[in-house]
Amino acid sequence: MKRFDWRCLAVSSVLLAGLARAETRPQYGGTLHVAVCAAPGSLDPADSGPDSFARRSITLLMFETLVTMDDGGRVHPALAVSWQASAGSQRWQLRLRRGVKFHDGTALTAEAVAASLRAANPSWTVTAEGDSVVIERDPADPETLAELTLPRNAIALRNAAGKPMGTGPFHLVDWQPGKKLTLAAEEGYWRGRPFLDGVEIELGRNYREQMMALDVGKNDLVEVAPEQAHRTWPEGRWLANSAPVELLALVFARDAQSPEDKLLREALALSVERGSIRSVLLQGAGQPAGGILPNWISGYGFIFPTNADLPRARHEREQVRKVVTWTLGYDGNDRVARFLAERISLNAKDAGLSLQPTAAATADLRLMRIPLASSDPWVALAGVQAAAGVSQGRNRGTTVEDLYAAEQAALAAQRIIPLFHLPVYEAAGPALRNWTLRPDGTWDLADAWLGSGKP
Amino acid sequence: MIFRRKLLAVFALTICVSVAAVAGMVLALTRRAFETNEGQRTAALLAQFQREFSRQGDDAVRRIQAIAASEPVMHMAAAMEHSTGDTAASFDLARLMADNYQLDFLEFVDGHGTIISSAQWPAKFGYPENAFESVSALSEQGPFLKQEELQDSTALGLFAVRAARAGEHAIYVIGGRRLDKNFLSALDLPADMRALLYQNRGDHFASDLLLDPAAGNSPDPSHPAGKLAPLVEAVQHYNQETAQVVRWSPDRADDEMFHAIPLRGTGKERPLLGILLIGQSRRSYAELKSRIGASALLVGGGGIVLAILFSSWAAARVTRPVEQLAHAAQDVTAGNWNARVEVQGDDEVSQLAQAFNRMTAELLTQKERLVQAERVAAWRELARRLAHELKNPLFPLQLTVENLVRAREQSPQQFDEVFRESSRTLLAEISNLKAIIGRFSEFSKMPHPQLQPVQVNELLRGVAQLFQAQLQAPGRDPIICKLELDDGLGPIAADPDLLHRAISNLVLNAMDAMPKGGTLTLSSRRADGHAVIAVADTGSGLSREECERIFTPYYTSKQHGTGLGLAIVQSVVSDHGGRISVQSEAGAGTTFVIELPSTPAFEQAADRKP
Repeated sequence: MKRFDWRCLAVSSVLLAGLARAETRPQYGGTLHVAVCAAPGSLDPADSGPDSFARRSITLLMFETLVTMDDGGRVHPALAVSWQASAGSQRWQLRLRRGVKFHDGTALTAEAVAASLRAANPSWTVTAEGDSVVIERDPADPETLAELTLPRNAIALRNAAGKPMGTGPFHLVDWQPGKKLTLAAEEGYWRGRPFLDGVEIELGRNYREQMMALDVGKNDLVEVAPEQAHRTWPEGRWLANSAPVELLALVFARDAQSPEDKLLREALALSVERGSIRSVLLQGAGQPAGGILPNWISGYGFIFPTNADLPRARHEREQVRKVVTWTLGYDGNDRVARFLAERISLNAKDAGLSLQPTAAATADLRLMRIPLASSDPWVALAGVQAAAGVSQGRNRGTTVEDLYAAEQAALAAQRIIPLFHLPVYEAAGPALRNWTLRPDGTWDLADAWLGSGKP
Repeated sequence: MIFRRKLLAVFALTICVSVAAVAGMVLALTRRAFETNEGQRTAALLAQFQREFSRQGDDAVRRIQAIAASEPVMHMAAAMEHSTGDTAASFDLARLMADNYQLDFLEFVDGHGTIISSAQWPAKFGYPENAFESVSALSEQGPFLKQEELQDSTALGLFAVRAARAGEHAIYVIGGRRLDKNFLSALDLPADMRALLYQNRGDHFASDLLLDPAAGNSPDPSHPAGKLAPLVEAVQHYNQETAQVVRWSPDRADDEMFHAIPLRGTGKERPLLGILLIGQSRRSYAELKSRIGASALLVGGGGIVLAILFSSWAAARVTRPVEQLAHAAQDVTAGNWNARVEVQGDDEVSQLAQAFNRMTAELLTQKERLVQAERVAAWRELARRLAHELKNPLFPLQLTVENLVRAREQSPQQFDEVFRESSRTLLAEISNLKAIIGRFSEFSKMPHPQLQPVQVNELLRGVAQLFQAQLQAPGRDPIICKLELDDGLGPIAADPDLLHRAISNLVLNAMDAMPKGGTLTLSSRRADGHAVIAVADTGSGLSREECERIFTPYYTSKQHGTGLGLAIVQSVVSDHGGRISVQSEAGAGTTFVIELPSTPAFEQAADRKP
């Protein structure tokens, strides 16, 4: 599948930046201070709580998946050293790596892996066969390996109390839900002990607080709002961004109820001025989106129109005699989301539509930030559909035409109006060395270390 | 006593009216003075409000000037001058500046009227400012009012506009403060004054358009906004400042005087954007008025009470001599001729009392003289009657004795016969003399009535029956006796014998009055608590003089009457507590009417008996 080349550019820039800073040899020790907006309610990878890139990153610090996917979409061994598909991708057998132990010293076994996968995927049939696990999918799914790379399919050993334990480079020391998470380096990590002694993650901090903490040197790694990415960074602090892995979209709460409803939704989709919104409200961050999948994943995303077509929007609107007022929900804690909602309402008003922005929990349509689950297009598409509550087709194709048809079908349901594809931005302080932001928006702290530049 | 009451009423009424008039006048003057003072105070407060309003406007102008001259704005203007017009970097500047300068509204608009940055509606960047043409013309002028469209509503604001130039192109800084509850609350107003704002967005009053800082988020049930509708609509209709008292409750202390000040926008039409309602509590006025009213009521009431007391005293003082005169007059009427009035002072009433005393003294003297004269006259009349009555029998006695003497001397042979004849005559005349003396004796010994229930009608029937034979006696013209009796007449307390005798005397008189016959009518009836008995004849009647003297003892109009019959009748009637009168017309007959109390009159009769 064709990938968009700028992703390589972004990653290489990050790597180059990291290399440029590698002015000293890596050294062990130190605690990395991180702040994130998210405040996950559970550390269990299989928990169905709100998804976020921060949560994924935290999960991958403590847990590992059976396989990983590189920047080119290729699958690599992780806890599984090899795999084999049969029966038309319906049956998958993965052989496990030997010598891997959970943080409490328990060896990684096929039974533990099967139990973990069953907990995360109740619809799967997972069995242990010797040092292998066998996954049976009905219907057959060629993207099973891609799904196994998802953080939610990270392998966890749950004790009697249901507390999960992983095999990742860091183990849990302390967790204050909603406030703070403290991790310590796992000495017996099968890939070798991390350079960092520990990671302290402050949870539930907004962008402004994170930025202030970075500026005063309190934190080494923070999230950056897309609209803030353009700011001028002081000496020693640097910014990294992922590929556009987050879909900003309008999602209707239910399917279109009538042909008139469809016309109005079409008019709304045509009325949004993505260009001016991106340049002003997002300060140039992200890419206008006409489709669900970003171009770097699908390869055809550019063919979806993103420019506003106000005359056509008005034409669609005028075919409807009675216009109802829709409530447009947004995250009340996100100031930019409010501006976006108000701007979209203004655009809609120009087309003769009536949108009432609201921070209430229920609304006719919502402005949603949907993290793409994977760089695998099928998995990503399915993840967006699931997040938006759109029904998915049972069979996945193998060609780009199948993918395009599936995405078109998802858009034709008119539950989702894609607006932008946003990258994840992270800013690091001067002490943090050799860390990378993966293209999927998660951190890679396995080789990160803290230098002397820390104030 | 009635005179005293009348005098008291007149005095009290006069004083009450005077007190009420004075109190009312004082109240009216006080009210007028207070209203004048209140009006001046209200005008001063309104002027203070206007100054405060202007101060807020000037403050907005200063802030806008400061923003327009600030480095970020100048930097933005310079960037606009030298770049291609990319204003994305300034998107959030208006909000930041508005926060720094504490403004509710702030927009940066380029020379084409396109919004670069908006604090009140950040999402409106790139859209045209609707009122740009009229607003940009005010860039060097003072504050103005403007209706600002927001995301989900519109708001009224006190705006100012200034231009920031870094070259040929200008950036217009348009901002100000929102006229909302916070603005109204921030106004430095006296304690009893408040400001409300009505946002004029329609032809008719709507409660939700009224901003009341004191009402909170929910409507105040004690101050329904609808009460202000007439005032608002008056301003909408006449488009000029109007004042009106708004009554929130039956308690006048809750009243408020509202001054409605129209707030107009800019432009040629100067549309009515809002109405500022300056309310001033009338509680102090109402309380003062109430206190004055209470004081007036207290003073008036006290004055009236004092007036009544004083009037009572004055009336008593004035009427006491008159009452004494009245009592004395009543005493005189009752026969107490010795009644005297105490004389005090030398005023007209005292003179009247003196005159009364002189009058009663004179009357007493006259009475004594009259009694004396009447006594002499009575004795004379008695002597005359006695002489007359005794003379008639004496003359035959003299002739008889002289016949006896003459018969003894001239014809002794016939003396015996003459003697027998004369003896019979002498005895007859002596008997006659005894009878005369007996009647006089009887009159002087009228018995005291022994009261008992008497059926008047029965008594009248008995009298009629008793005299029936005499009325129809042969040798005289017949007299028809008629009885006209009221069957509803009950028994009365009377002495049946005396009453029978009195009625009989009247019947005898009637018979004497009808020598040629006629009709005798005995009637009875009830009238005003009295039993009325009438004895009427159809005789020749009496003259007026006879009627006046007919009850005088020893007066008679008959040839051989003693003049005691009707005197006895009057004595009997009087002893029963009644009265008798006579009605007569010459040629038409005479009617005697006796009125006796139908209730037991024993006490009265007893009291009257010496």
